[in-house]
Amino acid sequence: MTTFKTKTITIGLALGVAVVTLTGPVQADVNAPLAALGPPPIPLDNKQTPEKIELGKLLFFDTRLSGDASVACSTCHEPKQGWGFSGDISRGYPGTIHWRNSQTVVNSAYYGKLFWAGSAKSLEGQAPSAARGGVAGNLERDIGTARLAFIPEYRKRFKDVFGDEWPKIKNAWRAIAAFERTMVQTDTPFDKYMKGDKSALSEEAVRGKGIFEGKANCIECHNGALFSDQQYYNLGVPRAETWLDNGLAQITFRFEQYAKGVTQKMYRSIKDDAGFYYRTKQVDDKGKFRTPSLRYTLYTAPYMHNGTFFDLQEVVEFYNEGGGTNEFSANKTDLIKPLNLSEDEITDLVAFLESLSGDEIKMSSPKLPPYAPLPNPVK
Amino acid sequence: MTRRFPELVSLGGVLNIGMAMAIIVSFVFYSSDAPAHESGPVKAIKVDAKKAALGKRLFFDKRISGDSSISCASCHIPEKGFSDGMALSKAYPGSEGFRNTPTLINTAHKAAWFHDGRLGTNLNDVTREQLTEDYVMNMDMRIMQERAKQDPVYVQMFKDAGYGEPSNGSIRKAIPEYLKTLTSRGAPFDKGTMSDAAKRGAKVFHEKRCGSCHAGTRFSDDKPHNTAVPNNPDIWSDPMRHHTYVAFGLFMGIENIYNIRRDVGAHVRTHKVNGTDVGKFMTPTLRELKYTAPYMHNGTMKTLAEVVAFYNKGGGSDVNKSRAMRPLGMSGEQQADLVAYLEALSGDPLTGAEHVWKDAIPANYTAISDWLKTPN
Repeated sequence: MTTFKTKTITIGLALGVAVVTLTGPVQADVNAPLAALGPPPIPLDNKQTPEKIELGKLLFFDTRLSGDASVACSTCHEPKQGWGFSGDISRGYPGTIHWRNSQTVVNSAYYGKLFWAGSAKSLEGQAPSAARGGVAGNLERDIGTARLAFIPEYRKRFKDVFGDEWPKIKNAWRAIAAFERTMVQTDTPFDKYMKGDKSALSEEAVRGKGIFEGKANCIECHNGALFSDQQYYNLGVPRAETWLDNGLAQITFRFEQYAKGVTQKMYRSIKDDAGFYYRTKQVDDKGKFRTPSLRYTLYTAPYMHNGTFFDLQEVVEFYNEGGGTNEFSANKTDLIKPLNLSEDEITDLVAFLESLSGDEIKMSSPKLPPYAPLPNPVK
Repeated sequence: MTRRFPELVSLGGVLNIGMAMAIIVSFVFYSSDAPAHESGPVKAIKVDAKKAALGKRLFFDKRISGDSSISCASCHIPEKGFSDGMALSKAYPGSEGFRNTPTLINTAHKAAWFHDGRLGTNLNDVTREQLTEDYVMNMDMRIMQERAKQDPVYVQMFKDAGYGEPSNGSIRKAIPEYLKTLTSRGAPFDKGTMSDAAKRGAKVFHEKRCGSCHAGTRFSDDKPHNTAVPNNPDIWSDPMRHHTYVAFGLFMGIENIYNIRRDVGAHVRTHKVNGTDVGKFMTPTLRELKYTAPYMHNGTMKTLAEVVAFYNKGGGSDVNKSRAMRPLGMSGEQQADLVAYLEALSGDPLTGAEHVWKDAIPANYTAISDWLKTPN
């Protein structure tokens, strides 16, 4: 026990140092500079192959990887909705509603952690969490594994790609992750501009870039090639209004508190999404969410972890006013304060944000292979 | 299943020992001529009326399945003796079942549940198993609890029943309390109003020693036996059913599951290395058969005459067939009498308000008004 305690303290101190570095005095040169986006990192234990990507694409669109075989990954990450969901809060599993906004799949390959509070460490970990969650896919491993075995095309493909005698569900998530790593966009007007094509950005967008990096200081968090520092902040985004008047949403809200393991006292009193707190259980982390990338946002409205803003103009105006207030305002970051942007400056900033998206990435649902009886058993 | 209750697996291991001993005891029982169980009407069980009423509403409420599409009563239909009238049961949407839905009448008296007898504890566990099983109700019980708390009718009923606020624990108590109310009553056998044919059939029943397994007031010894009921090919030709069996087998740890084309039955509970427990199924009750066709664990027999003819020829063919199964040499008349006797074991339908929730149950939930000021 003594050793254990000592270790905990050491880790705590290490974290303390990291926090100081991240939230210390603002210095523009501390932030990763904006840059064109390169290829995504590929994990050594799940390399990309065309066959794996193709399999992952089929599985991404296959509703049989949900409890009642009615929802696929693509149901809440719809290509036509910016690979997210059209509503403020994602639709959720039948009989439920989700409690957060569905994030785009596009460029998810670059994040170190997935979900709004970073609860998954990889795309390979995100897929099963979503597929199995009670308000998302509600799939159990056993039934998912069994269903894959009864689709001859999948048996063949899992054998070819992973060497599986019978499809392993874990490899389904790996294939889906490989497919998702192809859903990247590196040729936006901004990327072209950064690579030397100065005509790629409009004058407004160029001015907006200056505001982004200067007066508005968006770059403080939305930095680097991804436009995200992948850290967690409370901006005072107001609570989702749906909790006030939607019975299903109230059910999910309480379920999430219960499922994520808060104290009885907190379960009784909480009326907003505590975000990063559920991972760290540190009071100071209540209401914090990971900085999202600003890429592809032209297609991913509505915005914020609970979809409370329906266009980019609204988002910029929210920042211009210095953010908002929520239940956890005591944790609101000092980095956010009124920006005093003029209307023209807001227009320029929105123009710049729009230059972070290229053409819409379209894809129609592939034809899915059917079930068939198993071949005669091997004696 | 695995995700939600991993402790069940280890519990099953402990139970296996008890089960193995029970089987040894059952062999001793076969050699005895005297009926070891009492007979007569099934005894009604005293219940807490408020808890049972709550359990009744839950039993008929579709919102206690994962996607709110099916209730317990979707497969346990009162008019069909709390079974479903199909050879193989429906399952949770996206899957189809691989066994016949058993009656729930007198279920509270059983010593072990499911056709394979894999749970030998109590109805609380059985309820939990069915609520959470991916091909049955596929319900995350944490969501179920919060759904119950969202319905003002439930909030009041849980309170009145003495459970406090709705919880998944009390749901798993209330449903068994309701199941205790499902007791056979009014059968000609119990009232002494059997026809002459049925009386002759009773004699045949005893002479042919049907009661060595179909013993006691429920006509079941609560033990598994292999009568070599033929395979139901519809399970293996239909990927929707077969995949469900594979999912079940993956969870239960059935070896070589992808190459098996039979229901291993009680093997999932006893896991005998030599496989002599493969194909054993729990002796079903003979009560309420009038309402519960088709018969056998896989619904392969449509009528009682078929079932009696099956026993008359000594059952089917299987290496592990019970030695108690042998040709009975009954005449056509004796078989007809036996069927008459079996029919006399069915009582009044349990379809009145005492056993069925008759009021409408809402499909949706109203919002809690003034949510911000109402503690969760």
